[in-house]
Amino acid sequence: MNYADLFRVTLPEFALEIAALLVLVVDLAFLRKAAYKLRIVVAALLGVAGCAAAAWAVLQQGSGGLSFPASHELLLATGGFTAVAQTGILTLTALTLFLLIDSEFTRHVGEYVAVVLMAASGGLLIAGAQDLLLIFIGLELLSLGLYILTAFAKSSGKSAEAAMKYYLFGGMSAAFLLFGFSYLYGISGSTNLHQILLAANGIRGQQAAPLLYVAIVLIAAGLGFKVAAVPFHLWAPDTYEGAPAPAAAFIASVSKVASFALLISICTAALHVFDRSASFVGATVQLSTATQPVFPGFRVPWSLVLTLFAAGSMALGNLAALVQISVRRLLAYSAIAHAGYILLGLAFFSYSPRSAGAVLYYVLTYGLTTIGAFGVVAVVERATGSDRLDAFLGLHKRSPLLAAVLLVLFLSLAGIPPLVGFWAKFNLFATVLGVSAGPVPFALVALAVGLSAVSLYYYLQVLKRAYVMPAVDETPIKAHPVTLAVLVLIAAAVVALGCFPALLGNWIGSFSPMM
Amino acid sequence: MQEAISFTPQLVASPIAQMLWLIPALPIVAAGVSALLGQPRRKTAAGLAIGSMSFSLLLALAAFAHVVGSWAGGVAARETVSLTWIQVGAVNVDLGWVLDPLSAAMLVMVTLVGLLIFIYSVSYMAHDENFTRFFCFLSLFAGGMLTVVIANSLLLLFMGWEIVGLTSYLLIGFWYQKPSAAAAAKKAFLTTRVGDVFFLLGMVWLFAQTGTLLFYNGGSGSMEATALASLLAQPAALGLSAAGAIGLLIFAGAAGKSGQFPLHVWLPDAMEGPTPVSALIHAATMVAAGVYLVARVYPLMQAGALTGGTTTALTVVTWVGAITAVFAALIAVAQNDIKRILAYSTVSQLGYMMAGLGMGGVAVGMFHLITHAFFKALLFMGAGSVIHGSHEEQDIRKMGGLKSAMPVTFLTYAIGMLALCGFPLLFSGFWSKDGILEAAQHWSANRAPFYMLVFGALLTAFYMTRQVAYVFFGQTRGEKHAHESPRVMTLPLAILAFFAVALGAIGTPAWPWFRAFLDGNAAGFDLHGFAEPGLLALMGTSTVVVFLGLGLGWLLYGGKSPAPEEPDVLEKASPLVWGWLRNRLYVDEFYGVTVIAFYAWWARVADWLDRRVWGGLVTFVAWSFRGWAHLNRFLDTNVVDGGFDKGCEELSTGGGLLVRVQNGRVQTYLRLLALAVVVLVAILIWSSRA
Repeated sequence: MNYADLFRVTLPEFALEIAALLVLVVDLAFLRKAAYKLRIVVAALLGVAGCAAAAWAVLQQGSGGLSFPASHELLLATGGFTAVAQTGILTLTALTLFLLIDSEFTRHVGEYVAVVLMAASGGLLIAGAQDLLLIFIGLELLSLGLYILTAFAKSSGKSAEAAMKYYLFGGMSAAFLLFGFSYLYGISGSTNLHQILLAANGIRGQQAAPLLYVAIVLIAAGLGFKVAAVPFHLWAPDTYEGAPAPAAAFIASVSKVASFALLISICTAALHVFDRSASFVGATVQLSTATQPVFPGFRVPWSLVLTLFAAGSMALGNLAALVQISVRRLLAYSAIAHAGYILLGLAFFSYSPRSAGAVLYYVLTYGLTTIGAFGVVAVVERATGSDRLDAFLGLHKRSPLLAAVLLVLFLSLAGIPPLVGFWAKFNLFATVLGVSAGPVPFALVALAVGLSAVSLYYYLQVLKRAYVMPAVDETPIKAHPVTLAVLVLIAAAVVALGCFPALLGNWIGSFSPMM
Repeated sequence: MQEAISFTPQLVASPIAQMLWLIPALPIVAAGVSALLGQPRRKTAAGLAIGSMSFSLLLALAAFAHVVGSWAGGVAARETVSLTWIQVGAVNVDLGWVLDPLSAAMLVMVTLVGLLIFIYSVSYMAHDENFTRFFCFLSLFAGGMLTVVIANSLLLLFMGWEIVGLTSYLLIGFWYQKPSAAAAAKKAFLTTRVGDVFFLLGMVWLFAQTGTLLFYNGGSGSMEATALASLLAQPAALGLSAAGAIGLLIFAGAAGKSGQFPLHVWLPDAMEGPTPVSALIHAATMVAAGVYLVARVYPLMQAGALTGGTTTALTVVTWVGAITAVFAALIAVAQNDIKRILAYSTVSQLGYMMAGLGMGGVAVGMFHLITHAFFKALLFMGAGSVIHGSHEEQDIRKMGGLKSAMPVTFLTYAIGMLALCGFPLLFSGFWSKDGILEAAQHWSANRAPFYMLVFGALLTAFYMTRQVAYVFFGQTRGEKHAHESPRVMTLPLAILAFFAVALGAIGTPAWPWFRAFLDGNAAGFDLHGFAEPGLLALMGTSTVVVFLGLGLGWLLYGGKSPAPEEPDVLEKASPLVWGWLRNRLYVDEFYGVTVIAFYAWWARVADWLDRRVWGGLVTFVAWSFRGWAHLNRFLDTNVVDGGFDKGCEELSTGGGLLVRVQNGRVQTYLRLLALAVVVLVAILIWSSRA
């Protein structure tokens, strides 16, 4: 990869960084004396414009499909599912910026937007990264941004507490991850994912395997932290509870999409070495499915770890959510549960674009829905001063529109047809069963379906308070028209994508020439 | 039997075909908007419904003109547009719509009759407080019905079918305060549901066999040669091929909606709904959806028939139709409610259509469907006008002499009645019914349906004469003075009356335009059409039969005005037979002691199971889950945090609570993290050793 190529593939990141600097300059230099409302609108709009420019660049690159160039110096992939994930990251970032317009947790809007954009550019990087160093840089760029965003409500002790916990936990995870990377480098002598995994597949004897296992677990720990998979989920409830609402929405959606895109990259690379049709020049050994080694070095332990994560996250997330009384913590545990479903799709992964498509379908629609959910929670929180379940009492009398949005989003999260959440789950589970037929995936899918039914209970707990139980306070809740418009738009998208499930599926498929 | 139909495949659909989806979408949007309107916005609701329907009518006319225009050289165009709805792996579920002569003709009929009934309803429902809701339901119904018509996919058709079923339920029970209306709505919904279950089974089977639910898709649709051949090769039970079995399952759905014996019981009760609803849904359109469905899947029903032969599926359709035709006509003779007579007449005429499809092909059945839609809508709206004019009286024995009080209604009603009876030459009903009789005459399998249908024609003429004699002739027996209905109600009557006469012109043996249009042949004017062997004799026979019916009816009822309490002329002659007919041959009672009694028993068993067995199980599972969840929370707050909190309390006396919690928890978290890594590595190594 030469510098011209590198510039070309990092065009979206450049766009975001330029927008971030622009926001800072405009806010600090020109709008120092301007009204708070104006500053916030200008900053958010500039950020959205940056996202739009970056998305345009992504889609320009994305027409060719995902390619694995011959060089083992490959740093960044473009097109294919990377383009899908990057477009998703940018769209969701723009939506969280719109939610900012109504909030007043900070006076430093320029900094806030700039940090959001920089974190998003980190997300873009890891969605395409094919090299350990780049992955680490991208992850740190994203994570550091998230720590700052969590702490942004400086007057709130909760925010600071959450950020501190998040930071310490994240720092530890990053250390593990880096440690794991160093082992991988030691095993393979390369930082390129494909080279590493090719080398890892050669490890069959007992002598080097434990080293590889340690590396796999350390890496899985680092990435499990990012997606809040059990047992690395402990930060999530505190962070979701303490962070300012737009930041929490950003963490719950954008960061998830980027991290799952990275996991897709790793899973794809792990399988790439088995693929006969896609030539991988620079490798002397051509492995094919017909001559699979007795003990495939990377894939089986990796799948096992992901399976453990998935089962644990589904079970713990759903069960712990049942007894939450704070809606934000409830959403955190539900996020853990959703991460479990998605990890199931990654644990039983196929080289065909079908698995990547199903996972992206899930994580994109989940991100969209969860931003909307946090938006509603934020509005209710501002009006009532609390995110307890009881704050939602009589919501349909206080604001029928908000209650309707909440109804659509929560039912979609629970996977009720014809909303998009149903199709996401259906696609994912069907893909898992289609990829690997066996008692284990079947049992796990059965568990996932059963736990989805359990999850309906806690989502309905909130809706019951919004619709059925008598209101304590019937004063109407007012929300900023932009916030309302964004929320209604999200709810409408959830309904429309659910009624026409092939729309999004076809769009994702259009990036993969094989589909 | 008709010959194989050839259509030109169109690769790129024309603009009008691309826009066909607007026809059902407009009324559905109108329904959605008026659902959000408040009750007082009556004018807006009616305006939306009528406006959207007018646009749909214009589009339908444009589509019809397009199809007629493309119908050159004896070959009609069939254009389809499809889109993928669901995609799971390699399996696609497609939805789509089709513009061909069948759908074009049906579209024009539904939108035209629908529009006229909408306009009529404005006046008829003017005093109802739920006027807005009424128009919302009507529009939704129209949208569903038009979806059924344009569907090129059995699934899309089924969606429309279910919307139509739902709105039928809502509109029959529109006056839900009346217990009889609520009961009738439930009955209609449940009875048609019996048929729908079979329909769904057939649909799933078809999808499993062919992998597509599209009817036509450039050679790979389920109604095209490749799929049909594979369906024929697949044996099902009882000597049927899969094609025949699926066809019969779908026909069961059609029988439910079209009120065919033995699922006809709901249709007469459905007359509890407002009269425009009866006219639109239970006479002209929805009940005809079953007939339309059979016409749509006709290739499936017909698959495997040799030239001039028939298939098991079509034989079943024929017999069910013929039996229904006679059965319902017999019951109609002994009814006294003006709408119920028309309802049984509808059931009987639907039987004619089914028999026509079974014996003569798509064009024969569909022609009767179209003509019947106009004159039966006319009759129902005339009946509505009569009921309106005589102050909500529905018993024909309490009317009489309305001829002079309601001249326009009388005139139009008489036209509708003569069309229904099949009065020779002038009326459309004569030509369409004659087509069915002709097909029956030529049916090689059996002669009985022919005689049954001729007998049915006699009964039709008889009961309609009885009704008209009771309602319009003789002396006034009602207590209040009747009055003519307003112009907005009589104008649609006049338009429908025009079509009840004029439509006959496109289906005479000399100029069988409609038949050629549907079958994709060239149409030509040829008087020799009358010279076909046996045709004139047949026309003579049916003329004699109609006059016999009219004459008998007039002889027994004409010019007399018996008191309402007085027994009927026929009742005096044979009380036993009259009693059977009067009580609708006890079909409802029969269901009551068999099916319904069984359900009631089964419901009690299920209730017992629910309470005693499943309830306990569910409670147990729920409690165990709650236990788990509480254990989890307990571990989270007490063991993980609490343990450290205690330690902190001992160590530190100063410092805020916040600091303590913060410190403690994170350290515990990090310990857990490290522990998890170690455990995972151990698991991995252990699993690879094993």
